[in-house]
Amino acid sequence: MSVFELIRKDFLLELRRKSVIAGLGLYLFSLIFICYLTFNLRVNSINAMTWSALFWLVILFSVVNSVAKSFIGERKGVLIYYYTIASPQQIILSKIIYNSLLCLLISVSGYVLFSIFIVNPVQDHLVFFAALVLGSVGLSTSLSIISGIASKGNNSNVLMAVLSFPVVVSILLMTIRVTKNAVDGIERAASTDEILNLLAINCIAAALGYILFPYIWRS
Amino acid sequence: MKKLWWKILAIVLLVYVHIGGLLFAVPRLRIHETIRSLYFHVPMWFGMTFMFLISFVYAVRYLRTSSKEDDIRSVEFANVGLAFGTLGMLTGMVWAHYAWGLFWHGDPKQVGAAIALLVYLAYFVLRASFENQEQRARLSAVYNIFAFASLIPLIFIIPRLYSSMHPGDDGNPAFNAYDLDGRMRLVFYPAVIGWFFMGLWITSLRIRYRNINEKISETEL
Amino acid sequence: MKKLVYLVLLVLSGTAVQAQDFEMADVMRSNGQIYVVVAIILIVLCGLFAFLFMLERKIRRIENKLDNKK
Repeated sequence: MSVFELIRKDFLLELRRKSVIAGLGLYLFSLIFICYLTFNLRVNSINAMTWSALFWLVILFSVVNSVAKSFIGERKGVLIYYYTIASPQQIILSKIIYNSLLCLLISVSGYVLFSIFIVNPVQDHLVFFAALVLGSVGLSTSLSIISGIASKGNNSNVLMAVLSFPVVVSILLMTIRVTKNAVDGIERAASTDEILNLLAINCIAAALGYILFPYIWRS
Repeated sequence: MKKLWWKILAIVLLVYVHIGGLLFAVPRLRIHETIRSLYFHVPMWFGMTFMFLISFVYAVRYLRTSSKEDDIRSVEFANVGLAFGTLGMLTGMVWAHYAWGLFWHGDPKQVGAAIALLVYLAYFVLRASFENQEQRARLSAVYNIFAFASLIPLIFIIPRLYSSMHPGDDGNPAFNAYDLDGRMRLVFYPAVIGWFFMGLWITSLRIRYRNINEKISETEL
Repeated sequence: MKKLVYLVLLVLSGTAVQAQDFEMADVMRSNGQIYVVVAIILIVLCGLFAFLFMLERKIRRIENKLDNKK
């Protein structure tokens, strides 16, 4: 079975269960609505740093909730089925790609909701979307792997939160910085360093996931 | 590892460092005599990084060999690294209180170090949540590798992007502002080496203790 | 002996005096109080080393005991 087919299967499974997508959308919506209410944002203006941080925190929470399912939620039978039809490398690759797409979807819809309810202060859209793509890919790559590890332990939901936070912090810090630059509309040369760093972190995470996943998968 | 010479070396170096660190002349800077803290505070971070590095190496080795001993080594190096890190954090906070006025200053290096400690605390939480010994060893080795890789940007890249109150934020961590001062290096480098060997020594004792434990539980079974 | 120590310190510290001068604990150095501090720290340090050596000896003894049992 090829990677492509696995991704397709993931999508089919997800789309068939309408409640999952609806739940995710509602989660995102309520998070943003809470931000809007608590910060009273229509009245008070919000600065670039706060906007970027808030935006990425909302994304992070929704992503942790959706990506964590990638291994934790699965029943034993499904995992054994995967085990027989595909190699671990294929599985992790398909999961990473699928989660990245999902995460991108979440962040784009988060952006839309943010611009409706709060403000849309982004000035440099190209840099902003670069941050969006790189951040989504980075988050979902590391979270997929962590979810694989956490799913093996007892009490995996708590484990997921504990293990993932420190790992994604560096990705989050970089993306927030790039986003802030994009919001401020600073010249692009100022963000290239961070974007390159993000790219490097993503590559390292993906490579490590590819190499290490067989060891996670073996049990 | 059971040889005597490097323990003697650690002792000699540390005795020298504690004498020299207190008595030798230091540059007269705005932070007065507290510059001497550099001899005692920064080697803790170096020690932590080295211990985590060795722990990482043994984690990789465990995945290739699956031997229980490599797992024990990896854990114990992480353990001692965590101890070094905690000491580095505490000493740093005391020094920061004097030099910057606050115990917790939100300095990027301080934050990065705190996250590094959190990563390895999470590592021990992960280990505690498995009952199967083999599974625990394998998955925590994977997390160890992943965690170490995620530390590299945290400790070496991000502090350089943000402006730090630590000296030398645009180059070698911790040291650049005093680079001119060769006299400080005379004490600082021995301190790093001395604490590193000290860390090795303590770790080797802990590893031997764990191995004895393993053997006893084997014979009981 | 004490003069020799002072001489060494003087040579070492001779280069330290710079144009802008910050207040340092020079008095503590000149009247020798610092040696008390150094001595105390060294005693603590040596105590720790001795403790480690004793711990190691205990561990070695248990290791030997285990090996003989087999």
